[in-house]
Amino acid sequence: MSELILDRLRKEYGSFVAVDDVSLRVEEGELVALLGPSGCGKTTTLRMIAGFIEPTAGRITIGGRDVTWDPPYRRDTGMVFQSYALFPHMTVAQNVAFGLEMRKVPRAEAETRVRRALDLVRLGHLAARLPRQLSGGQQQRVALARALVVNPGVFLLDEPLSNLDAKLRLEVRVEIRELQKRLGLTTVFVTHDQEEALTLADRLVVMDHGVVQQVGTPEELYESPANLFVAGFIGRSNVLRGRLAERGRFISKGGLALAVPADGMAPGEAALALRPERIGVAPGASDGGVVGRVALVTYLGAATEYRVTLDGGETITASVPTPRPGDPLKLVSAGDAVTLTWPAESCRLLAPGPGATPDEGGL
Amino acid sequence: MATAATTAARPAGRRAEAFSLGPFLLVPASLLVVAFLAAPLVVLFRYSFNRYSPREFMIDAFTLENYARFFTDAYFIGVLATTVQVAAVCTLVSLLFAYPLAYLMARTESRWKSALVIAVVFPLMVGNVVRAAGWMAVLGNEGIVNHLMLSLGIVSQPVRLMYTPFAVYVGIIAVVLPYMILTLQSVIEGIGRDVEEAAANLGAGPMTTFRRVLLPLSLPGVIAGGTLVFILCMNAYATPVLLGGPQFKMMAPALYDQFTRTTNWPFGAALAFILMTSTLVLTIVGTTVLSRRMHHRKLEAAPR
Ligand SMILES: Nc1ncnc2c1ncn2[C@@H]1O[C@H](COP(=O)(O)OP(=O)(O)OP(=O)(O)O)[C@@H](O)[C@H]1O
Ligand SMILES: [Mg+2]
Repeated sequence: MSELILDRLRKEYGSFVAVDDVSLRVEEGELVALLGPSGCGKTTTLRMIAGFIEPTAGRITIGGRDVTWDPPYRRDTGMVFQSYALFPHMTVAQNVAFGLEMRKVPRAEAETRVRRALDLVRLGHLAARLPRQLSGGQQQRVALARALVVNPGVFLLDEPLSNLDAKLRLEVRVEIRELQKRLGLTTVFVTHDQEEALTLADRLVVMDHGVVQQVGTPEELYESPANLFVAGFIGRSNVLRGRLAERGRFISKGGLALAVPADGMAPGEAALALRPERIGVAPGASDGGVVGRVALVTYLGAATEYRVTLDGGETITASVPTPRPGDPLKLVSAGDAVTLTWPAESCRLLAPGPGATPDEGGL
Repeated sequence: MATAATTAARPAGRRAEAFSLGPFLLVPASLLVVAFLAAPLVVLFRYSFNRYSPREFMIDAFTLENYARFFTDAYFIGVLATTVQVAAVCTLVSLLFAYPLAYLMARTESRWKSALVIAVVFPLMVGNVVRAAGWMAVLGNEGIVNHLMLSLGIVSQPVRLMYTPFAVYVGIIAVVLPYMILTLQSVIEGIGRDVEEAAANLGAGPMTTFRRVLLPLSLPGVIAGGTLVFILCMNAYATPVLLGGPQFKMMAPALYDQFTRTTNWPFGAALAFILMTSTLVLTIVGTTVLSRRMHHRKLEAAPR
């Protein structure tokens, strides 16, 4: 088991920077998720850790040893490929035994460990099958067992769940987390599914365009996103652009004056991020909050979303528990006036920077 | 329809036979094969049992004397042995030369890849005779190789390279190499790079990855390429005639002589069938041994 350190890791393809000075420290036994939109450099980062891609600059240390220029077969990483990459000409047991053979583990011990690893992923009964005789989920678990059985210093997973159906994905996700905890594996998990990342990881690394946007626990990222990109990528946020007139008072482009927390930013141009589920909705126009007209009501089962157009032309989406029958809110539909309220602490002021969220305004 | 009825009557869980165009699509090709390949072969096969007469050319008969003559004549046995030896050596050498190149071509992401493919295919556009002429210019007493060796002082007199077995080997390997490379390349391209990476990730160095993963997975290509090239070598005609000289005899030139020079069609036909049969038998034996080995290893390593 060992700690993994990336020190200003960088990869350029010609003039294109795929990974831009990524620094990261993954503690022993910790599971860190690399999260970001397609093409942001997650796979490239992971493959540099495994040794399949040579970095342009930077250093990689595993358990205190600099492995930056070591070939993949001397790195002691266990990788689960998105495509599984099982050896098609070997049985399940032979696939799992391969890494042990390479490490010259005595045959008797190897057999025990293979059996244990296969039992761990509940595939003991399929040991003699060939990969093509397995379902996708089973192949995925073989890939897992094959990487785990050697007890790798660093466990690497590249979107291992993306080929599974929704139900299986949930199951295997839980399985991976349990195994990783039980074995205390230092793990880097690549995904573009934020829910997957939030539920699995001790810490998240949000990347965009090869740059790390923020590193933190799921709660930190959700409660205090560092910038507009993170605010829009982890969970959802309403974004209002405008300026901070003075400490504690934000004026939106649409002319809305809002009370905001008085910490941090100096007055000037700013953006305000607000989670839909922190906003309350009351029928009718009243003085206690922000008034607007409902543009769209979306029923989502446990929650109902109200898309509200404010007088200044801005749009805010609120998500509230679906009102029970008899609640006056139940009768509100498109075109009706509503009042939105939220505690000032829920507003998060961010730099107005270019990191526009994909669904800004309309959320 | 009968098919539909049996399908319906089958117990659930059995795979139903799907309607398929396959058999019908085979009809035109089958007719062609019968008309242009099988029919002449049958006729030729019949000839091989006829009797030869210098005056009457060919007498209808049913005799094994042509085959008997071949197997009792040390000269012809020698011709067959030479042929098999040339074919085997050329197949092996071309396999050794072709594999690394095919791997490189399959794996490169360079924009020169198509240029590389064209370079490999290009020799196929030049006939064997033209190429043999080229080798004469290279290997002859006045050729490039001798010229170089003389001017570098490696030798004091021109070394005889033309009209030697060496020239034949070189010539045939050059002819068959593109076939081997292209066959291997297409098979290696079908092997995911990710399985090689998985092997490396599990601790296998390049040699181990080749031996344990790449080679077993590309064995179908080795078998296909080997078969194709072996057959080409066994039937080589222009190259041994032009580069080997009159002393060097392989089966194809020998049987051609029987048809044209001595006009002994029955014996020529017998030679043709001996060549064909030995090619077939050796190919089948080689293929079986290789695929048996592949299969064997699989079973051997399976957990008990
Ligand atoms: N060999 C290469 N040559 C040039 N550009 C490349 C190469 N490999 C990757 N890239 C570029 O680097 C960027 C990062 O790629 P990467 O595969 O790391 O993305 P990713 O975050 O894993 O995305 P996804 O979620 O789609 O898998 C992409 O924009 C990609 O186009
Ligand atoms: Mg990727």
